[in-house]
Amino acid sequence: MIKKILIANRGEIAIRVMRSCREMGIESVAVYSEADRTSLHVRYADEAYYIGPSPSNESYLVIDNIIEAAKKSGADAIHPGYGFLSENAEFSDRCDKEGIIFIGPSSYAINTMGDKITARKKMLTANVPVVPGTTEPIEDIDEAVAYINEIGLPVMIKATAGGGGKGMRLVTKEEDIVSSVTSAKSEALASFSNGDVYIEKYINSPHHIEFQVVADKHGNCVHLFERECSVQRRHQKVVEETPSPIMTDEVRAEMGKHAVAAAKAVNYSGAGTIEFIVDDDLNYYFLEMNTRLQVEHPITERVVGVDLVKTQINIANGEPLEFKQEDLKQTGHAIEVRIYAEDPDNNFMPNPGTIEHLTEPLGLGVRHDGYVYTGYKIPIYYDPMISKLIVWASTRTEAIARLKRALYAYKITGIKTSIPFLSRILDVPDFVNGKYNTHFIQDNVELLKPSENSSQRVEDIASIAVFADYLANLGKHKDQRFCKPQLGGWKTFGRKRNVTRL
Amino acid sequence: MGYEIKVGDQQSEIKLLSRDGNIMELLVGDREYKVDIVEVEKGIYSILYNGISYNIELISKDKKVYSATTLYNSFDIEVLDAESRYRNSRRKSEDEDSAFISTPMPGKVVKVLVEEGDKVKGGDTVIVVSAMKMESEYKVVKDRIISKVLVKEGDNIEGDQPLIMLE
Repeated sequence: MIKKILIANRGEIAIRVMRSCREMGIESVAVYSEADRTSLHVRYADEAYYIGPSPSNESYLVIDNIIEAAKKSGADAIHPGYGFLSENAEFSDRCDKEGIIFIGPSSYAINTMGDKITARKKMLTANVPVVPGTTEPIEDIDEAVAYINEIGLPVMIKATAGGGGKGMRLVTKEEDIVSSVTSAKSEALASFSNGDVYIEKYINSPHHIEFQVVADKHGNCVHLFERECSVQRRHQKVVEETPSPIMTDEVRAEMGKHAVAAAKAVNYSGAGTIEFIVDDDLNYYFLEMNTRLQVEHPITERVVGVDLVKTQINIANGEPLEFKQEDLKQTGHAIEVRIYAEDPDNNFMPNPGTIEHLTEPLGLGVRHDGYVYTGYKIPIYYDPMISKLIVWASTRTEAIARLKRALYAYKITGIKTSIPFLSRILDVPDFVNGKYNTHFIQDNVELLKPSENSSQRVEDIASIAVFADYLANLGKHKDQRFCKPQLGGWKTFGRKRNVTRL
Repeated sequence: MGYEIKVGDQQSEIKLLSRDGNIMELLVGDREYKVDIVEVEKGIYSILYNGISYNIELISKDKKVYSATTLYNSFDIEVLDAESRYRNSRRKSEDEDSAFISTPMPGKVVKVLVEEGDKVKGGDTVIVVSAMKMESEYKVVKDRIISKVLVKEGDNIEGDQPLIMLE
């Protein structure tokens, strides 16, 4: 039985994992880089060990250092979170060799699903629909042109080792084929030291819908329904919700079966996600599998009522799943938004810095997974995501209203965040009506800009706040309590009492 | 007192007429306001005006330059005192490089593409800075000569810190 878990991660996900550890009576071990000594995950854990300098390739990505910390602490398992080493087959193998339980899939599953061409082949044999395209890397340009003519434009050129939009090219015109293949190859080589690319049919106005699966080590595998992740900016998810507003019961059941088949095809164990690309007519195709916990897992937890981290730990302990497919159902509607330290009005420029003040939203149906606190200095080395806000309500309409309310109450000062941008998304008619695809942000770029037609009065009131703050900081004012709340009566009472006692 | 306030491109006079505790009377342009104003949390002002409740969040870049956020709007607001008005009058033309290249946020220098004495063309990238896994290129607006390079590759930098001086 696992008694102590090392979390090989930082930020909100490290804390998320530790929360489940606490509930299960398992001790948690944090690891931290130089920049993260003051990070909340170090404070929240039972134990914490230093693993190297601030850049992640000298700390969070160094397998040796993490194994050493695990041994020093006596941890019997490692949870990798997401990102960093979570989909690293070598790490999974190494844990195995060192006799430490890796809370995640085998290196076989990671490798098979990590290489997109191998994954495509595997899915074809498991009868899971894939996007029409090549099953081998493109050897020469002529072959590529011939194949593209066969399946028809538009097509996507993709890196087999790819991710995050790198090494990807959309080709809509025949004359662009040669240059796109060449540039995708060189970009893939530079980013992943693997220049292999393949061709895929491009789906117009696609939706990105993924299925959560969990599988134990006894051959049981179930899905926990879908997550709609079509609101994306530069291939990064911004808003996720479940159930998907375009889903029907029939398609859901069918996609769920295919998701389970996909996981079984690689003897998967643990929690994983099957990503599908879906067109407007609900034709769907396997895109890829993420062999880890997803950033957006809380919306599934909320709607299905399953703690996914606990489930992962139980599976790693060798226990059979506590539920069967027919036990699971979706209740209500959940939405998650990701809050980034970036300036939405200035081309989403990253905005690290010190949090001067933080008020987290509370109230019915609100969950906040974050890691920053007042006075915390966000380091420049890591991902700009600072928290996730998740709401649940019985209907989608109510969930949107609740999320708006929660975003309104969410105050972060000292740095710029994406909160105002997220609030604007919730007002865009396409989102409100649930009629959106992955082009949502580019299609609504005008509506997502900060409103220009503010009233003179709001401008003036904002100016007054600025002016008052400026004057207060000038320090010329004799009264130290310029614009400060009036004191309560206790101090005066105390003084008075001291005097009257004499 | 002689203060002006600049919201975006719009500039108007601002004057504190009277103050009694948290009650202030002000003149913004030719509009008079009587407000109840309290800094309820650091950087967050609660303002009551004619019974309407406003929440303004402030992020100050330096003592005089702010960005102010309400529920639906975000404004860049600058307080202009005598000193800054004088400085602005000396630097009239827009679309000019300032005297140095800097970044709005802290980060790490990835690449310095110029040396002292280099002549660069308008639009040339002079430095690449990374913050939070994202690299940004910084360019000059017009043809310039590099007079000094103050940082080297791998340096950690603060926001608004001079990195490269221009002639």
